[in-house]
Amino acid sequence: MRRRLRIPNLGGARAAILHRPHETVTALERQLLAIGLEVDCHWPDLPASARAADYLFIDVDTAFDDQFPWEPGEAPIPTIALVGSEAPGRIEWLMNFGADAQILKPVGDSGVYSALLIARATFDARVDLAGEIDSLRRRLGQRQTVVQAVAILAERGKSEDEAYEQLRGMAMAWRVSFEEAASRIVNSGKPLQKSESDHG
Amino acid sequence: MTREIDLGILFSRSGTYRLLSEASRTGALKAVEQVNADDSLDVRFNPIERDPAGNIDAYAPLCEEILRDSSARHVIGCTTSWSRKEVIPALERMDGVLWYPTPYEGFEASDRIVYSHACPNQHLLPLLDYAFSQFGRRSYLTGSNYIWGWEMNRLAREIGARNGGEVLGERYLPLGSTEIERIVEEIADLRPDFVLNQLIGPSQYAFLAAIAKLRQLDPFFRAGHCPVLSCNLTECELPTIGPSAEEVISAGPWFRGLHPALPGNGEREDFGSSLEAAAHASVMMLAGLLSSNPGAEYLSLQQLLAQPRAARIGISARTHHVSLPVAIAQVREGAFVPLWTEQPVEGDPYLTREREPAAVSLRVVK
Repeated sequence: MRRRLRIPNLGGARAAILHRPHETVTALERQLLAIGLEVDCHWPDLPASARAADYLFIDVDTAFDDQFPWEPGEAPIPTIALVGSEAPGRIEWLMNFGADAQILKPVGDSGVYSALLIARATFDARVDLAGEIDSLRRRLGQRQTVVQAVAILAERGKSEDEAYEQLRGMAMAWRVSFEEAASRIVNSGKPLQKSESDHG
Repeated sequence: MTREIDLGILFSRSGTYRLLSEASRTGALKAVEQVNADDSLDVRFNPIERDPAGNIDAYAPLCEEILRDSSARHVIGCTTSWSRKEVIPALERMDGVLWYPTPYEGFEASDRIVYSHACPNQHLLPLLDYAFSQFGRRSYLTGSNYIWGWEMNRLAREIGARNGGEVLGERYLPLGSTEIERIVEEIADLRPDFVLNQLIGPSQYAFLAAIAKLRQLDPFFRAGHCPVLSCNLTECELPTIGPSAEEVISAGPWFRGLHPALPGNGEREDFGSSLEAAAHASVMMLAGLLSSNPGAEYLSLQQLLAQPRAARIGISARTHHVSLPVAIAQVREGAFVPLWTEQPVEGDPYLTREREPAAVSLRVVK
């Protein structure tokens, strides 16, 4: 699949940097300002207000879970990892914590713009994917309901295939998901007394 | 006390884009001569020149050579984005600064470079505004297979989509290729409102010749219909292109005959093209930063641009881009005739600032 990059609106966006005062921060800040963002530097604690930022830069060399007011893997904003030490332990921490893009230290003359674009696109994809997985999980959990609904419909003398098709027709007529239609039938204990259930 | 300061000059004197790089070189040397004859300035420039001869792999070593073998910290040079990106590591290693006086596609703000010619909010965006208002919204995009063409057309596509425009076709040629038949056939077939041409060198020359022929054959393409647009065509290529350049509409910071030239040029307007003017302006701006400012030649670019005089000259300490006027002009009888001009606008390399409504600053040229 070909992805088309949607350029995020970076003018006036806010970047939060969690890193001790350092040349890395200076170089990062220079690039961010040149691009047009506003920058807040934090150390050693990330205030709750950082949630309102549009991008977060974290220092993988020194970061630990308790610095962040959210669970590993659940960063609420696009997160960019600043990687210095490539010791496996640090990379393992990063993999668990999760980041949407990374920049190797020392931060020099460039690299921030592409990291911002990639982080935003990856974050958006991550949020979409999480939503989709949630919905699939919910539907999977309703498999039993579907089986029960088909059984209820089949009790009225239909074959299983016919009952299944009838359920699909109901979902379409009610404009709800297949699983939701099944759940309505199971909850009412019998097929709803409507025409679409009778002329099948 | 007058200080003698080495100044690097890094332009190709041969190769495919020789016409452009020679124009830049002429402008830089003109300015060196002017500075050295000006008693109101207390600096004298000693040009340290190297010629990469159009060979991309020669730029970095020659830039490094200038910075190593002389006391030059500032280099005026490079004509392509590719060579500019090639010299950045050398600038970092040797603590040098590049003044890049050529139009480019934006999305860069190196702390080692001053960008003294136009970026997209100073060429492409006003040109598209003009084209949409004058010709229509159905465009055909073409360019050379190179970052300039790719990025400029990507921007054109995005801006067009935002304005309800329609891209009828988009095609690229390898660098140096003159096989333009397919593109011209497609244009003849699709009949767009305008063609955005980001071809460079011989490809562009062949393309313009074929379009000129099409205009004679097909009444739809008669004079004034479906113009060809460019963001980098200047006077320096017109003699080579000849009559087929007629009617091309180009955007740039300056064209011959406009008053004044660029902010850095002072009173002077005797330039062959904006390439020459921007290189001249670069050297003059540098002289302005260093004169009556002992030791400034040893400052980092960041320190130098943090001084108030940089902002007065029009160089942004934040983006290292220069404020430039915008002009849109059409080739008529071998010279550019201005159609539209705007007051100087600050360079916005990442296009993160709202563009001012054009009506405030523009002026239609009768």
